[in-house]
This record gives sequence, C-alpha cells and structure tokens, in this order.
Amino acid sequence: MNDEVVFSQEFEVEGGDYVTGGESSCRILEILKELAFPPAIVRRAGIAAYEAEMNIVMYAEQGQINLTVTPDRIVIVAEDRGPGIEDIDLAMQEGYSTATDEIREMGFGAGMGLPNIKKNSDDMELSSTVGEGTRVQIVIRANHEGTSSEAA
Amino acid sequence: MKPPDHALRIDEARCTGCVECTKACPAKAIRVRNNVARILPERCIDCGECYRVCPQRAIVPVTTTYTDLSAFKYKVVLPSPALYSQFGPNTLPENVLHALLSLGFDLAYDKAYACEMVFREVKDYIEENYSGEPFISPVCPAVTRLVQLMFPDLTELILPFRPPREAAAKAIKGDVSRRLNIPAEEIGVIHITPCLAKLAAMINPPTGERPYLDGAVGISEVYGQLLTALKQTSKEADSELLHRSSGIGIGFGRVGGEVADLGFEESLAVSGVMDTISILRDVERRKQRHIKYLECQICPGGCIGGPLTVQNRYVASDTISKFVKLFGSKPKVEDMMKSGEDERTHFRLSKSILPAAIPPLDTDTSFAIGKMRLREEIFRKLPGKNCAACGAPDCLTLADDIVRGLAKIEDCVFIRADRGSGQMQAVKASKRR
Repeated sequence: MNDEVVFSQEFEVEGGDYVTGGESSCRILEILKELAFPPAIVRRAGIAAYEAEMNIVMYAEQGQINLTVTPDRIVIVAEDRGPGIEDIDLAMQEGYSTATDEIREMGFGAGMGLPNIKKNSDDMELSSTVGEGTRVQIVIRANHEGTSSEAA
Repeated sequence: MKPPDHALRIDEARCTGCVECTKACPAKAIRVRNNVARILPERCIDCGECYRVCPQRAIVPVTTTYTDLSAFKYKVVLPSPALYSQFGPNTLPENVLHALLSLGFDLAYDKAYACEMVFREVKDYIEENYSGEPFISPVCPAVTRLVQLMFPDLTELILPFRPPREAAAKAIKGDVSRRLNIPAEEIGVIHITPCLAKLAAMINPPTGERPYLDGAVGISEVYGQLLTALKQTSKEADSELLHRSSGIGIGFGRVGGEVADLGFEESLAVSGVMDTISILRDVERRKQRHIKYLECQICPGGCIGGPLTVQNRYVASDTISKFVKLFGSKPKVEDMMKSGEDERTHFRLSKSILPAAIPPLDTDTSFAIGKMRLREEIFRKLPGKNCAACGAPDCLTLADDIVRGLAKIEDCVFIRADRGSGQMQAVKASKRR
C-alpha cells in the first residue's frame, strides 16, 4: 500500500576483504534502527544481511548488496561475481560448507550461512550460475505489530 | 514523557564551549550551543568519557552529599571492589572497610562478597537457560544503557539479574531491619563508586523500579579522608571481621572478574566503550556464536579504570592480582549459603529491561524514509571536515540535527563563510580526493 515510498542504498563488497567485510550489514542495521523498525525485525535483517555479505567475502571475487526499504518490507539483494553454487539443495543444508581450512580457522564456514538467511527471512530466493555468480534475494516483511520484542 | 536524568551536570561558568567533550562522546550526546556544552539526556549512556577529557573541569558528577546522608538513621557503606585496589597490596580489604566505617557509618559491607553470592545464582541460571545466544552481563550500568539505546534488539539478552550492588543493598536492608528492628526506609545504603554510571542507574533505573541503593559517592571524593583514616584505624586490628570475600569477589573490580567466577570456557570479557560496541555489533549479527556469557565493562580495564578512581589502573590491576593470590580463587560463599527456593530467585529482576532506543527520525516509517533522504541531501552540502565548530560532533550528526529541527544549516561555519565567496567549492574539491 505504501510501496511508493522507497529508500534504497547499494554497498560494494570485495571478495577476500576481511577487514571491511561486515561493514555493509552494520550500516544496514543502523539504517533500519533509524527507520523505526521493531527490534526483532531489525535483528533478523541484520543477521541475514551479515551472512549474505560474508558469503561474498568468503567465496566471491566481488559483489554488491542492495538494500531497499518501503514502509512494509525490507528487501536485501546480494549479488556476486564468483564461482557460483553447484548444488543449491546441498548448500541449503545445515552444516554443509565448501569453506577452506583458513576460513574455518577464522570461525567462518560452519555451513550455517544460507540456512541462517532462510531462517531469518520471510522469503528467500537463491539463484546461481556456476562460473558466473550467485544472487540471493531476502525479503523481510515489516509487520510493525506482531514480532516486536517490546510487545513481549 | 520526562527525559531521564543523569549523573553529570555542566558547570556553565567554567565551560568555554570548546568541543572536546562533544567529540569524545561515543553516544554523540553532547552539543555546544551559545558556547556552552549541553547533554542530550535521551542519548547519554553515563560512560563519563566527557568528564575525563574536559580541560576546564566543567563537567561535574552529581554525587551524594553528607547532608543527603544525614536523613538516614542507620547508614551502611557498600564499596565497589575497585576501592580495595586503590591503596596498594599492603592495605588489605579489612583495613579499607574499617577505615570506611570510621567515616561515620554504622556498617561497612563487603560488596565483593555480594558479587560471589549473586554469581553463584547466575551460573545456575545460565546453565539452565542458555539457548544459543550469549547472555550479556547486567553488572556495568553504562553497558546496560548502551544496549538499551544503541542495541535495542539485544536488550532481551541482558541477564535478568539485579547487579550485585543492588542485590546487596536489598539483602542488607532486609537483614538490618529484621535484626535491629529498624524500618527499611530509615536505612541508607551508600555505594562507594568508581564511576558515574552507578549513580545514574539509581537516578534512572533501567527497569523503572525504585533502586535499593540510596546514594553513591565517588572513590576520588573519599580518597583523601580514607588515607587519613587508614593511618589511624590500622592499629586496632582485633575488631569484628568485615572482609568476607575470596579473591574471586575482589576480582570483580576489574575486567574478567565475572568470567573468572563463572568458569565457563565459552565466555568472554571485554572492556572499553569502543571494544564493547564492536563486540555487541558481532553479537547483533550472530557472529561469535559460541559465547555463553559476555562480560562487558565500559571503562578500560573494568571498574579500576573508572573515571572516579585515583590509582593508575595497571597498578590497581596488579594489586587485585595480589589479593586474588592471597585470598584464593574459590568463592567463599559456597559453604555459607543455603539454597532455598526464595534465595534462588532473590537476585532476579522482577521487571524486565526494555529497549530505550534513540528516537527514530520519525515514528512513521514513510516519513522516516523521507527524512533520511533529506539528511543525505543536507550531508552532501556540508564540508565533511567534522570540525564540530557548529556544536555537533560531526557533519552527519549536524545533518541529522537539522532534519530533526534541532539545528540549521547556517550553524556550519563553512556554509556561513561561503556566502558568495565560493570557498565551499574548494573545500568540496579537497573532500573528493
């Protein structure tokens, strides 16, 4: 109903950059807090955005995260140029990961990234072409009543 | 709604309107207007960074006075364990407690012992209730407020326990009033505090409940008197034993003390404002998901680094290490507490801590989105020097203030100087490089 009021911002994410990797999801969290979304919605969006961002950092060469906010929903699209995912069903399983030992030593690559995104979004679309890249679209509906922890 | 009060005030006669405090404030809660600093109460987290940096000593703690104390028939003093670290390893906690007593109190209670009591319950609670998200320590009140304001989505992770100082005040009042038949309201419990946040938490409690503590006095305010009293009281050593805690309780005076008491492998202790914000950002995005208990202390090094302490914090930490060795690292409380059902919930909060988020740009999301776009536009017009000459800590905050109707673009000295001179073009060109 209110879909014409839109805030949109794009963030660049560099593959392999663990220094600035994670900053986009921090900014996304700040923006959503300032826009008065309920704490529980903000948290879910933050977790999903962070996992999507770290997937680019860990596996891709380069990518973008686009945040689009309307009063009714938050849409986060993470798109990268990279190796792509061979078997999407397998990648969606908890604990499955193709992460290298180095990545695991840093505490990443536990095979929880994509399942976590799914768990924290209302709608998730994943498409990938091997050798080209991956696109994840995350939708979180901003039901301002329901899930707020303030109401609990 | 009445804005919350804080434990600091600005001495307007001393304030010169320099922007040291404004720049130092991690919560961006200070603005300089008409050459005087003003604290925005809804944003202040009581960390005391402004108090530390003010070159004019114009930021004054609003602590309890002796006149406030005289209102109570029975006076109890409850010192932070950090106080024990202030006089070197040869002055034992027992000496410090007796010196405090001699300042005119009826009872000096070892708060370090209360820390051990509360954390015995905390340990059981965590083991029973851990469900994959870290519990955030409820001990440092500035951290609690930081979470309420800047991480409202993490408020529910704050452990639902009274901090040891409040738990102790509650227990003391119950005990003294039963034993000596004095009405609880005539018993005053005064905290000797290393920081302003403990005082602020009494003025404006995170749960909105009336606090059990009745006042707080800074360590630096009683230090001189204590030194004198220590010289006089050390001779009469055969009096009642006041110090009851082990080294574990004393360890609460510095960062890592809580974690050492709990003994979980999956716990972490962090100190300092920036490091606290950084770890909370991780928790917020579910990074570091192995942590069961997260101890955060807003002051570097923990309470021994508080703005109202006197001793160098490394020296203080060394003294605590010596006490831990001397008094052992096995909490003494274990063989002294019975665990009846009442005692198991005695230290729990009866109301939950709610988010107190910084007011959003607008409560209506459509308007908030519009204002965020407008703020971007204004920000692009500003020089990006973050000079704070306008009275806001940086250009983005000035843009935010303008959108909220709290400032105007002409507050920017570059914008004012630019009128017709075209100087802004030069500034903007340098910004792009």
